[in-house]
Amino acid sequence: MIDPAAGDLDDALLRRVAAFLYHEAELLDDRRFDDWLLLMSDDVRYRMPLRVTRDDGSGSEFSDTMAHFDEDRHTLEMRIARLRTPMAWAENPPSRTRHFVTNIRVALDDERRIKVRSNVLLYRNRADSADHDLLSAERHDVLCELGGKLQLAERVILIDQSTLATLNLAVFI
Amino acid sequence: MPHNYLKDIRSALEEQRLPLSVFNDPTLFDLEEKQIFKRCWHFLGHESEIANPGDYVLRYIVNDSFIVTRDNGGKVNVLLNACRHRGRQLSRAEAGNAPSFTCPYHGWVYRNDGTLHDIPLQNATYGAGQVAKDALGLVPAPQVALWRGWIFACLDEKAPAFEKYLGDAAWYLDFYTNKTPGGLEVRGAPQRWVINADWKLAADNFVGDGYHTAITHASTVKAGILPVQDGNFLFEGVQVALDHFGVGFARSDPMFNSLAYPPAMMRSLRERLNPKQIALLDNGVSLPTHANLFPNLSFLNAPGAYAPDKPPAPYLTFRTWRPLSAGKTEVWSWFLIERDAPEEFKSASYQAYILSFGSSGTLEQDDAENWTTITSAAKGQFGGALELDYSMGMNHLDAMTDWPGPGPAYPLDFTEFAQRAFWQKWISMLEADSDD
Repeated sequence: MIDPAAGDLDDALLRRVAAFLYHEAELLDDRRFDDWLLLMSDDVRYRMPLRVTRDDGSGSEFSDTMAHFDEDRHTLEMRIARLRTPMAWAENPPSRTRHFVTNIRVALDDERRIKVRSNVLLYRNRADSADHDLLSAERHDVLCELGGKLQLAERVILIDQSTLATLNLAVFI
Repeated sequence: MPHNYLKDIRSALEEQRLPLSVFNDPTLFDLEEKQIFKRCWHFLGHESEIANPGDYVLRYIVNDSFIVTRDNGGKVNVLLNACRHRGRQLSRAEAGNAPSFTCPYHGWVYRNDGTLHDIPLQNATYGAGQVAKDALGLVPAPQVALWRGWIFACLDEKAPAFEKYLGDAAWYLDFYTNKTPGGLEVRGAPQRWVINADWKLAADNFVGDGYHTAITHASTVKAGILPVQDGNFLFEGVQVALDHFGVGFARSDPMFNSLAYPPAMMRSLRERLNPKQIALLDNGVSLPTHANLFPNLSFLNAPGAYAPDKPPAPYLTFRTWRPLSAGKTEVWSWFLIERDAPEEFKSASYQAYILSFGSSGTLEQDDAENWTTITSAAKGQFGGALELDYSMGMNHLDAMTDWPGPGPAYPLDFTEFAQRAFWQKWISMLEADSDD
């Protein structure tokens, strides 16, 4: 990732990426899902691999084969089409979400694609309950540029739980 | 527990009613732990999850943690995750591969078959030859059974053997397991998440609720995820109500008849079924869709859409509803697939599952929403006394006489025979004499 000592810290790029992620979070929290979809590239991959606790030194906890989310553009569209109906009971009334995005790190890969790591804390509250769910994750994103605008080409959500403390993933991370 | 509570529940059930309070009652929960979960057989996983010698997974029966290992000799073991010395849990990892487990407290070492290998400074601390290591292995579950690669355990050594417990349910489970010669495998690991809902609501839904789909899952029909023309696709189906197992079939929806399994797989299934099971397929009903084996192992086999330019794919999930406390359940959802199926089919089935069921599944989401609000309503002093109506089908449906499988079977899946059977089994086990 960014190595300031090597002189490759591109402040302008970092600011641009941060603005993109904050905008994306705003669209999710405002439930502007159609606008959120416009940020996705046509061949977007949106994954949240399953995490299984392993002993230290026993390799990655993240499953190569099973996931909580494993989406392409079409399945994201279907999820959002469902949310648009008044009978998506899990989100009617809707969750109140707040995506806190921090620790943004940016690098360019060999193909000049923008690789981004960020931390996200998702607060979720529903109906008149005083309780809330918290989901914490690191996200590994790949952004590409189309017509002068950034698009999300790939997202891998590395969740900080093996047993999820939320009743479903009717929300995006 | 108020002395007459079970009697009151029994009386209500005799009139096809159930007090809402059963879904959120700590005293009932304690009784369920002793009378039901300690005595029934539990699904812990599938052999494919521990394919190689040394592989292990961590599994639970309510609050008991077990290390399920494949030992160096290839045998499957279900071992209580507690050191014999001070009870320290030997594994915090949910999965791994290890020849042995060393207790982090004092260093006792157990082989992956549970035998005690080493006690540090044994001769100095206990005296030479003074400790019977043979008697200090990890405690195995009192009963363990392997069936079609599924791993089951029971905490009651006096409970009926697994095959007897399973009984006629096996006749129906064949349809889930027998589609190809290679049988099933688990993809990856089970998804786990916690819902503020009682385990019995999930079991009640899977055992015999064909009725909820058109309303609960309406959004997924509209969005094209649940590929049916009419959300009431289970209406003209069949419901089978064994005393410990319920299963539902669709009839009228063309997509549901084969559940979108390709013709080659349906032919392969027929080759592995007996004539009566084949007669069921020729009866015009679908393959078995939803089912529950008492108490808390549920099954779903259904088609799901996942891509605009491809036909829907079938998916198969097993799930256990692990009770955590009154009104709180941890869901374990496994996705299973025929291990010898073409990769393209496996991938399509997996994508259909992820979109429809499991932690992010669009159908699953709305089920849990129902169950959490019912659990919340059940907590009220006044609302808890509400008696829910469980009479559907009581007065106008007779058991089918031409059903080729074990029964009773009823000629609609919009009925509550299987749910009534579940509650009869539940109350009978709560009422049974306890020897502890």
